[in-house]
Amino acid sequence: MKQLTIISGKGGTGKTTLASNFIRLAKNHIAVDADVDAANLYILLKPTILKTEEFIGGPIAYLQGECINCGRCEELCRFDAISDSLTDIKFDSLKCEGCGVCEYVCPVDAISLKAGKQGEYYISDTQFGKFVHARLDPGAENSGKLVTIVRNLAEDIAYKGNNDLIIIDGAPGIGCSVIASLNGVDYVVIIIEPTLSGISDFKKIYDVVKFFGIEPLIVINKKDLNEENRQDIIKFCSSNSTQIIGEIPYDERIPLNLANNTFAVDDEASTAGKEIKNIWEKIMSLG
Amino acid sequence: MKICISSTGDNMDSSVDPRFGRCPYFLIYDDSTETYEFVSNASRNAMGGAGIQAAQEVISKGVEAVISGNIGPNSFRVFESAKIKIYTGVSGPLKDAIEKFKANQLTLTSGPNVQSHYGMGKE
Amino acid sequence: MIISVASGKGGTGKTTVSVALAQSLGYCNYYDFDVEAPNSDIFLKPDINHYQKVYVKYPYFIKKEGVSFKACADFCHFNAIASINEDYVFFEELCHGCGGCILVGPEGYVKEKEAEVGEISKGFKSPGIYFHMGNLKPKSMRTSNVQADLEKMLDEEQTVIIDSPPGNSCSMVNAVKNCDYCILVTEPTPYGLSDLKISIDVLKDLNKKFGIVINRDGIGNKDLENYLKENGYKILLKIPNDINIAKTYSKGGSLLDWDSDMKEKFLRIMDEIEKEVGR
Repeated sequence: MKQLTIISGKGGTGKTTLASNFIRLAKNHIAVDADVDAANLYILLKPTILKTEEFIGGPIAYLQGECINCGRCEELCRFDAISDSLTDIKFDSLKCEGCGVCEYVCPVDAISLKAGKQGEYYISDTQFGKFVHARLDPGAENSGKLVTIVRNLAEDIAYKGNNDLIIIDGAPGIGCSVIASLNGVDYVVIIIEPTLSGISDFKKIYDVVKFFGIEPLIVINKKDLNEENRQDIIKFCSSNSTQIIGEIPYDERIPLNLANNTFAVDDEASTAGKEIKNIWEKIMSLG
Repeated sequence: MKICISSTGDNMDSSVDPRFGRCPYFLIYDDSTETYEFVSNASRNAMGGAGIQAAQEVISKGVEAVISGNIGPNSFRVFESAKIKIYTGVSGPLKDAIEKFKANQLTLTSGPNVQSHYGMGKE
Repeated sequence: MIISVASGKGGTGKTTVSVALAQSLGYCNYYDFDVEAPNSDIFLKPDINHYQKVYVKYPYFIKKEGVSFKACADFCHFNAIASINEDYVFFEELCHGCGGCILVGPEGYVKEKEAEVGEISKGFKSPGIYFHMGNLKPKSMRTSNVQADLEKMLDEEQTVIIDSPPGNSCSMVNAVKNCDYCILVTEPTPYGLSDLKISIDVLKDLNKKFGIVINRDGIGNKDLENYLKENGYKILLKIPNDINIAKTYSKGGSLLDWDSDMKEKFLRIMDEIEKEVGR
């Protein structure tokens, strides 16, 4: 069983468009949406949810007893998550990382760590096979943990069902949820646009992927946007012996297809769809 | 001696799970008494360091060898420093894995056989 | 006044809008909170005159016969240290730097050192834009530390503009939690709408005032506008879908480079925001 993750560094460069079309073309696969705080794969896949589970995030500190206002916890908290501990103690749930130092140093055991629901995750059926996805509560933390959970689940299903591929739509950026979507995968596709900002973000995510010992496959999207930048990407890739596996042309039919709930690869008139098919075949031939 | 095998389920009809840190169950098997128990892997969904936690848990059970499909570098480092024998690349039914172990047909692994996982995800 | 520019979906034009607003105002304090993928410098082109490193503390352990680090391993909520007899294994990438192991461990045998997780660059762009941009070091995962250091620099002496990271999780909340008004940028596609709805939930939870900028107006479908109309959400601006904007953007040009009339439009938005916030 192989796993393929699609990421980009910069947002909005076409991850989900590429992932959804791959899912449309793949056979005997499981689909995963690892962009848990802005999930979009469900829109085209139209899942029927078979099972819903609560996502319990990492624990954070809260007051469970009588505070004696000694100030010890605030003094030792490295994350500025505690304030006004000498008068009327407050915990900042956003800043708390759940390290447990305050709980440990409290002389009267007034502080405790508690984990709460921070979202949901789902196993679904779609016209294109099983789909594991999630919804992080608005503003919640621990997106990396939720990504890990949906990936574990997808692996369980794939091992049981003898599926030979898991396709993972990743999140933008280079943070914990992105890293959780890269762990232990076989192939990583980085999709970039030939813009200065796109290139800048690409170089950062490229470093991260290389760190995992994975040789990324590069897709240039909207290749005709800027020739000079496109050449820079090609130069960067060739000097690093990294393969550009395809170049998708700028195609106004992409948003149109999305609005009509259709796949670019099913659209005869879509030049982008044609290239995505080529890219898919190349990836499949990698074995 | 006691050995630990990563398992896909909680009974003897299960298979060797290809993941160590993130497998659902561990089989702890004692080949001298031929007794065994299944322990559910509490650290499976840990935010990070599942393999580290799982390795310590397994070590605390007094095992001297671990058998799995893959063992990541984090668990590997923990097992190594505890001088525990590591066998990777094993798959198929648990029973077969036990037989192979008894018949000395498994090869010892000298290094982690999956790339650096950087803690957050799989192990 | 603090104005944050956010968007659930990535690549809808947060930086484009933030930069255009800053250029239109001419005088403001600008903060790029998208520390995992910061790009504002490419478009604003400030003279960077100062770099400030972001550090976190990591422990190190001094091994000695008879000294065990089991208490540290038992305490650590992040599994960053494993203890086996008198030996230990430390995993720096899992460590949050909370200092707990020093408190619980053998006295004098757990010490700390600093590690760099990112950097904040500061600069100036005439006539009066003070620029701040956080940049997370790849592989360090300490997004919140870089944002926290940026937050300490927030200065409301002039209008503050915060360019938020994409998404709707904690890193986005860090960028909008201090604002008086949030500009949500989206595009009229099912993806844009789906992510916008979650962003609106975040802002409502935080009790924030907000308005919408529709970028690439004309693509996709009418669902977004219908949704905004039904719920009475304010549309601040529509930016047309024009390949020339994309081409200008690809070279590091801003909306004002594309069309100088944009300045007036952004100043009008600013007036509206000031009226709504009541300053």
